[in-house]
Amino acid sequence: MGLSGELALTLLTGVLVLIVFALATRFDDWRTYTPLAGGGALGGETGYGHDEKPGGIVRWLTTVDHKDIGILYGVYAIVAFAWGGLAVMLMRFELATPAMDVLASVGGRAFYNQLLTSHGITMLFLFGTPILAAFSNYFIPLLIGADDMAFPRINAIAFWLLPPGAILIWAGFFLAPFFDGIAASMTSWTMYPPQAVAQTAAGQDAMSYEYAGRVIASSEIDTAALNAGTDLMLLGLHLTGVSATMGAINFIATIFTERGSDVGWDKLDIFSWTILTQSALILFSFPLLGSAIVMLLLDRNFATGFFAVEGGGTILYQHLFWFFGHPEVYILVLPPMGIISYVLPRFSGRKLFGFKFVVYSTLAIGVLSFGVWAHHMFASGIDPRLRAGFMAVSLAIAIPSAVKTFNWITTMWNGNIRLTTPMLFCIGFIANFIIGGVTGVFLAAVPVDLILHDTYYVVGHFHYVIMGAIAFAVFAGVYYWFPIVSGRMYQRTLGKAHFWTTMVGTNLTFFAMILLGYGGMPRRYATYNGVTAEGIIGYFTNLHVIATVGAFILLVGQIIWLVNMVQSWLEGPVVGPDPWNLKEDGLPSREFDWHADRIETTLADGGEPAEDEPMTDGGEPVDADDDAAGDE
Amino acid sequence: MSATEDAGDHGHGGHLPAVEDFPRGFGEASWWPFVTAIGGSGIYVGAALFLLAARGGFGIGMGTAAAVSIGSIGLFVFGILGWLYHGFVASFWQRHKSEQSESKLVWGMYAFLGSEIATFSAGFIYFFFIQAGGLGEIPDVFGSLVIFNTLLLIASSFVLHFSEVALRNGNRKRFVTLLGATLLMGIIFIGGQVYEYYEFLAVKNFTPAAIAGGEVIYSNPFASAFYALTGLHGLHVTLGAVLLGIVFVRGLRGQYSAERHVSVKTAALYWHFVDVVWIFLVAAIYIGATAL
Ligand code: HEM
Ligand SMILES: [Cu+2]
Repeated sequence: MGLSGELALTLLTGVLVLIVFALATRFDDWRTYTPLAGGGALGGETGYGHDEKPGGIVRWLTTVDHKDIGILYGVYAIVAFAWGGLAVMLMRFELATPAMDVLASVGGRAFYNQLLTSHGITMLFLFGTPILAAFSNYFIPLLIGADDMAFPRINAIAFWLLPPGAILIWAGFFLAPFFDGIAASMTSWTMYPPQAVAQTAAGQDAMSYEYAGRVIASSEIDTAALNAGTDLMLLGLHLTGVSATMGAINFIATIFTERGSDVGWDKLDIFSWTILTQSALILFSFPLLGSAIVMLLLDRNFATGFFAVEGGGTILYQHLFWFFGHPEVYILVLPPMGIISYVLPRFSGRKLFGFKFVVYSTLAIGVLSFGVWAHHMFASGIDPRLRAGFMAVSLAIAIPSAVKTFNWITTMWNGNIRLTTPMLFCIGFIANFIIGGVTGVFLAAVPVDLILHDTYYVVGHFHYVIMGAIAFAVFAGVYYWFPIVSGRMYQRTLGKAHFWTTMVGTNLTFFAMILLGYGGMPRRYATYNGVTAEGIIGYFTNLHVIATVGAFILLVGQIIWLVNMVQSWLEGPVVGPDPWNLKEDGLPSREFDWHADRIETTLADGGEPAEDEPMTDGGEPVDADDDAAGDE
Repeated sequence: MSATEDAGDHGHGGHLPAVEDFPRGFGEASWWPFVTAIGGSGIYVGAALFLLAARGGFGIGMGTAAAVSIGSIGLFVFGILGWLYHGFVASFWQRHKSEQSESKLVWGMYAFLGSEIATFSAGFIYFFFIQAGGLGEIPDVFGSLVIFNTLLLIASSFVLHFSEVALRNGNRKRFVTLLGATLLMGIIFIGGQVYEYYEFLAVKNFTPAAIAGGEVIYSNPFASAFYALTGLHGLHVTLGAVLLGIVFVRGLRGQYSAERHVSVKTAALYWHFVDVVWIFLVAAIYIGATAL
């Protein structure tokens, strides 16, 4: 495919995006209601609170209110999500055919690797951690009855470190058009040396030389030739790590000391438990990554040789990285599990089954997650006895995860299920998490891993968890709490369209990847036209096309979501104090009590009255369940 | 919310976090976090500019990099000081003493120290990793200076402890004197470390790598561990001295009392932590490397 093909493709994408946008805006559930004059109040401070904050942009730059900071985190994370998503769309288009074509004229394989690196780093560090911080900032103080975070100003500092961090991480892309010696980093998100120490801007190895008869890749210093994009990315990553650590310290202090007098440890909700555990994991893993990053930077620029063969070697780096990296995946998955445990019971009409066991399994995962890191290194030639030990612990960590899964399923069992959009995402979470978890257990077995390592099977595994579960829980939370944050209701039809496109897209894309992995397709390849085995190339191509189609469906779904969010925020119908009819089910929750309180205060202050009918999403008012008494 | 004062009213109407602050007249607005964060990020940008300048070809000189770095450090310090001033100092005696606001600071410090363990452990792991493979020829790093510095730092922890005790007994004069003594001992320690670096780098030529014929030979992986760990520790002692310095100045100006000393306590916690790390460091790097 030449330049014209590429143009046609771009054009086609553009037209499709426009069509989706146009269709999405046609849906008008909410147009049947009369929108209130003046539009939405950003941040939901309707009627009161004007004295506490300045107006305009200054409000957002100076705010130390945990709710505002939560919204800032959310907006930031969505921008990052868009960046990472667009990067991966380009990669998927490239992979739809075996040869290098779509990206051929913009840098070929090197550019593919840049997109790959940026996609991974962006999604994990700039989308994943911040979007969870958005929820925890907004809701933890409300859930535990605190006025604000323990350290409101540190909270704001932690957020404002993130935008500069993102700019540094992406800087290679911005500077490449202007200078020769720089390109976006091509190290992939794991940043393994010697590659991460020795790559040039063209993606070549800057430093292989022979030492004692072996070719050694990190010993000749030609720092001038190194890709400065990697240095900038490492610096940005360190900055975002500092931000995450500050956030974690803040949440620990908040949950330990700011709980209201009526919120004892026994009354702490499940979401706060998962955030507390997540913060502890961040506390012990992110600073370690920070030190490893500094060591990489020193190796690159000052010949310290931490990860040179004569020093600790690349295996040391892998140990350090995965000692951070495995807890990191639980840093990302525990709060989403908390969201599911919190939201799912509210649409099942009953309390969370086995609340205590969900808490215990969260703590167990927190502890165990520091003891499994070497399962990422089974194929690196480490001691087989070590591998056996790590295999055992890795298999064991599946148990607490399974405990939770059974608890969720049992909660729904015989429940009074209301298939609202948040509930659909909760159920989707469980379905996808089962596939992601089971594939993980297979990978934890050394003999299986030796075959599947570095294939698309691994990519399928972790995307089932990260996209299929974590992102789903994020969406469940976004829809569930949208009425509180915006004061309005989203458009249900669009919400359901978003769910189904996302569910279908996720499974098309990532199940195809699991099959690709079984076929032996290696990960991190821009092309696969070098495959010569009979029949395999067709197998690969078909599955890659399916994955690309799935990714495109995902893109469409996310555009629908964005349209829904923006439009409903501005013009959606104003909600009443209990938009989900939680009271009727006897499942009240603290943050919605707060929401109701706020509406009352607004009315007392002469604000506009809310609609009489609470807006629910498919929530037929239900009869209260017998066993549903009180909150968990 | 402070449980003692207005329990039961969760959510709005409670305490506002930034009553006394810039911009004036609001309860939930402060410029300091933004200023501090921009300064802090600017330090990273400055570091990036240094690396670009060193590479060459970007039209950026060392001068620009230095200017950005120094400016950013200034902004950072300005932000921190403003924040400390409005957050803790300005209305020190007007604020009510509250158990809960004290315990949150102490918990915050404990959590921070937890993260510090992780920061240091990467360097220690590197050291143990290379030690397991044999360190080879290494210079004699253990000497009288190390013994002196170690005793000095341990003693300073005790002096600081007695300073705290004095404050709790209401003996302000003794508190300030002993605090000043701790600070002095810390500064002498840093001086000793600087002298040691000078000896090793300039006199003994103890470096991780040597350049021979345009190629780098990593002759001494131990040096990387040595400088990484002692350097990181030195930075921590310096930060500890800054914290103690702030507490010292506030003490001189009459703040703190037998009941109100939470920042003395948190700064002291940090100082003791740095002391303990040093003992580990001496055991591993100075004694362990040479004796084992
Ligand atoms: C149920 C427990 C789980 C087990 C036993 C497990 C096991 C594994 C194993 C053995 C690998 C290494 C595969 C290889 O590279 O050869 C792996 C990779 C990965 N897993 Fe899991 N996993 C589990 C859950 C999760 C969760 C919950 C997440 C995400 C939140 C996750 C994210 C990842 C990621 C990101 C990778 C790839 C890292 C990379 O090489 O880039 N896993 N998993
Ligand atoms: Cu893992």
